[in-house]
Amino acid sequence: MASVSPEKTRWMRGPSTPLRGALLGLLLERPGHGGDLANRLAARLGETWRVDTNDVYRLLEQLEKTGLALSRDEPKRGNHRRTHLVYHPTEETSGALTLWMETLLPREPVRLGLQAKLSVARQEDAPRLLIALRAYERECLVLAQLVAPNDGEARSWAALCMECTRDAVYAQLQTEVDWATRTRRRINEFLERGQ
Amino acid sequence: MTPLLSFLNVSKRCADGGREILVLDRACLDIDAGVSVGVYGARRSGKSTLLRLAAGIALPDSGTVSFDGADMAQMSAGARSRLLRSAIAFMSADDWRANAGESVVDHVATALGSEGLTMREARHRALRVLDQVGVGAAGAQETASSLSLTERTKVMLARALAREPRLLVLDEPAQMPNLSDRDRFYALLRSATRERGMALLVASEEMAALQGLGVLMSISDGELCSTEERGTVVQMPGRRRAGAERPGW
Repeated sequence: MASVSPEKTRWMRGPSTPLRGALLGLLLERPGHGGDLANRLAARLGETWRVDTNDVYRLLEQLEKTGLALSRDEPKRGNHRRTHLVYHPTEETSGALTLWMETLLPREPVRLGLQAKLSVARQEDAPRLLIALRAYERECLVLAQLVAPNDGEARSWAALCMECTRDAVYAQLQTEVDWATRTRRRINEFLERGQ
Repeated sequence: MTPLLSFLNVSKRCADGGREILVLDRACLDIDAGVSVGVYGARRSGKSTLLRLAAGIALPDSGTVSFDGADMAQMSAGARSRLLRSAIAFMSADDWRANAGESVVDHVATALGSEGLTMREARHRALRVLDQVGVGAAGAQETASSLSLTERTKVMLARALAREPRLLVLDEPAQMPNLSDRDRFYALLRSATRERGMALLVASEEMAALQGLGVLMSISDGELCSTEERGTVVQMPGRRRAGAERPGW
């Protein structure tokens, strides 16, 4: 990728970048009001993301401030006397989406809460850690149950992308379950050695 | 209501060189009719042992495995064997054994030997089930030993479904090189078991293969981890849990 001015990637900072990027993609597909975009985002990303409508409104405002979205008061469908803010893409939106697709984002810390506990745990905390790890494993399984299945029949590019999105969630959850079981095993083996 | 399959504090040990290792540790699990359960676990995690106990192929060292309320350990070997040919079907990708020159339809029809059907009736039922798993009339006449891995897996499923079991137990059934084929196989499995109202217990080393099953569990070092505290499976498959939080990664 050629060097890009920091101005153009400023919107890619912070933990909400993936959602902002996904919103740009949705805006390019078709304009929408906040609630509509939140629903479309939730449908695309699946239930495990737990998309908050208020967050979507906040992110849309941020995108508008950076010139990547433009809101207009438009009459509501079915009630033309009332209006709502409909967000549209700007001339910059498509380029920003392309740039986001090309940009390697820094990895976010994983399972930070448990890592923090592990990093300072005393040996007498071992039983509590084992319980926390098992609870975490269970939580990952609960989330995995929420992911809709692939049926191997993706007939369009959009369907394939959605299947791959679900696969990403599953791959992350499998890694987390593996890590939790491996860590429990290591702690148990250590305790069995009587150290 | 009595669960169809129930594990109560089930443990199993096996010899490993000169010592004994615990391969299943006080597993608790209830599966009701119509529920599909996926067990995710790595190699040597204890999942195959769990499945063999569920199918009555092995017996526990302690604890109770019950099918439809009857303790499997109290049944004679003959009764357990009959159960495995009627109400329970067990399928493992490693168990593929087709006779030389045998056609696909005959391979499936011979699984119905204990049903009291004539060969003609058995072939008729076999053709119907083969069609349901996506093997058409032409495919049914092919030589079973010449099938690809994907076709073979479908035929194994047809063989298991043909007996119309109440519980289908599958050990890593879809070892397919192509992901779309694997996903299609699992979609077929989910719809076939749902339509028949049968319970499903399936284990895999790939969590993604178990997508869409009603309940997901994991197993490691013989320890079963369920979304429920005691390993109790609810009656309705495909349920949604409220309040699930996203892990903080």
